[in-house]
Amino acid sequence: MGMLDAADAAIRSLINPYYYGILVTIGINIVLALSLNLVTGFTGQLHLGHAAFMAIGAYTAGVLATRTEAGFWVAVASAAAAATLFGIIVGLPTLRLRGDYLAIATLGFGEIVRIALLNLDITGGPFGLRGIPRETNLPLVILVVAVTYLVLASLVHSRIGRALIAIREDEVAAAAMGIETTRMKVTAFTVAAAFAGIAGALFAFWFRYLNPSSFGFAVSIEMLAMVVLGGLGNLLGAVLGAAIMTMLPEALRTAAPAVAEHRMVLYGALLVVVMILRPNGLLGTSSEHGWLEVWLRRYRAAGRPANGPRGERHGAA
Amino acid sequence: MSVHRLGNWRAKSFVAAAVGLFVLAFGMAALAQVPEVVIGTLGPLSGDYATYGTSVANGVELAINEANASGMYNVRFVLRKEDTRGDQVQALNAINKLIELDQVAAIVGPVLSGETLTAGLIAQDSGVPFITPSATNPDVAKIGEYEFRNVITDDVQAAQMAEYAVTVLGLKRLAILYSNNDYGVGLRRSFEQTARALGAEVVAVESYLDGDSNFSAQVTNIAAQNPDGLYIAGYYTEAAKIAQQAALQGLNVRIMGADGFDSPQLIALGGPAVEGALFTSGFYADTEDELAKEFVQKYQAAYGSKPDMFAANAYDSARILIQVISEVGADRQAIRDGIAAIRDFPGVTGLTSFAENGDAVKPLYILRVENGRFAQER
Repeated sequence: MGMLDAADAAIRSLINPYYYGILVTIGINIVLALSLNLVTGFTGQLHLGHAAFMAIGAYTAGVLATRTEAGFWVAVASAAAAATLFGIIVGLPTLRLRGDYLAIATLGFGEIVRIALLNLDITGGPFGLRGIPRETNLPLVILVVAVTYLVLASLVHSRIGRALIAIREDEVAAAAMGIETTRMKVTAFTVAAAFAGIAGALFAFWFRYLNPSSFGFAVSIEMLAMVVLGGLGNLLGAVLGAAIMTMLPEALRTAAPAVAEHRMVLYGALLVVVMILRPNGLLGTSSEHGWLEVWLRRYRAAGRPANGPRGERHGAA
Repeated sequence: MSVHRLGNWRAKSFVAAAVGLFVLAFGMAALAQVPEVVIGTLGPLSGDYATYGTSVANGVELAINEANASGMYNVRFVLRKEDTRGDQVQALNAINKLIELDQVAAIVGPVLSGETLTAGLIAQDSGVPFITPSATNPDVAKIGEYEFRNVITDDVQAAQMAEYAVTVLGLKRLAILYSNNDYGVGLRRSFEQTARALGAEVVAVESYLDGDSNFSAQVTNIAAQNPDGLYIAGYYTEAAKIAQQAALQGLNVRIMGADGFDSPQLIALGGPAVEGALFTSGFYADTEDELAKEFVQKYQAAYGSKPDMFAANAYDSARILIQVISEVGADRQAIRDGIAAIRDFPGVTGLTSFAENGDAVKPLYILRVENGRFAQER
């Protein structure tokens, strides 16, 4: 930790704590978006309960830090292990389902975890878990982001990654080619869960207080939005999506008062505009076109209307 | 060429205007020699809990506008409002922004317990005094010496209701129906403990989840124990439905609750079933108290609605900060000590002091539903 601490001191002397805090949150969200992208972007499985794995990691780390003598790294490793275990337990039965059914099963799992955390005594129940020390810092988060990116990048470009993409493109064809689809899907799901667990541990050691309401359905959806915004099946896209969706509300906060007043409205509107203009996400590369592009093509193919405003303007020029 | 001359004229007039503006700005700056003190507030201004955050922001804004308009102070108070959307991630960013970018002297907020337990730690670490007007989670008091809480906590409310039920109303067999969240669980614990300590019997304890609409199983279990009072530890929506279903099952006992009952919706939804219900509240909008009456009128004129407890507590908290800052200046440590030293501050929620742990010590009303209105029982 010595080098990390030195790096942290250097960073803190350079940037305002407000921006420092935003960068830490961006880093945690990048790990979440990258890992969800493996399941939803590369394997094509709609997963609506990713926040549950984050919660499992966060609470594992939080309980260990507050009730035992476990150090930071032990807590983070345990968080990853707990999330992995739940990834396998949940993944095995649910990943036999497809499409909408999988979405509903993962959504249900997310709710079960939230309700369980609300009713357990060891998690502090509805009062939440407080007294977690602050151990997360920016260099550490950057390190975790880098490791996550490298692991996922090499996984995606390996034989397993090719199999996952094949499953996304056509599960039946993939099975016909000899890919063990369920095993591959469970692998992707479990790896994603492990990283979400690590992100959860970083979250716990940064915010120092955990409450089940911080891991609800809306949080899972927000992670999905990051992945879709950046571009499904694109690693850099997930990074970009997480960064934008974390920074945007804060950028609007520090903008003019008239903007700040309606920041959440503008936040939503901007996301809608981006998705209309770039239906495959900012860095999405799929060959499918969005409705706007399709419409524009048809419009051009049909020729300009003779008396439209567009025609007039061109005439005047 | 005319174009050239026009351009020249434009440049000249631009310079003249710039000089004029500069002089004007300088003159105004010279006039406005009054130092500024920034007070921050943060809470959910959007999302599910926006009604609480908006009430708090309005209460703070009203107090600050009044102070600036009064001309009584040799400083000008500037308000910075930040939205948390009710989530702890944004609460942390919001409080960092207030402290690090806006350099606030002190803060009214955060509003919700969850965001206070996250963002409050930052204010404590940075040595920025803050008064939460609404976070009632018992752990909030443990944040540290920069934390103050100008709201009566859930355990105090439940304890006082239990005491009133047993010693004044003479109830002997009490039943509790609680919402399974931090609010309901906290109230239940304290009510049960106090009632037992005073010698009453707690004959049934049942729970529900917010959003439930069928309580017949719980009501049946409670009715079987033949209680003489029912304490509903939860919010008005469910409380109104519980009261109706209890009446339908012939369980006509005294219904009691806490400030979760404090909404006109309790009466609108509950109708005759909630008639006679008692609940504790830190604020009574139809009070005869002169100070509070004046506040209600001013608030209504400014925001078009009656203030609730959140607005009243926030208004008092901001006025406490204004008074302390006018006495000790903008130094954060001095403000903290000033707040801790406040004794019997005349607030619209009653005479207010702070205990050693930062919790407000002030009167608690017991209100009664009477002819479709809230009346003061105690």
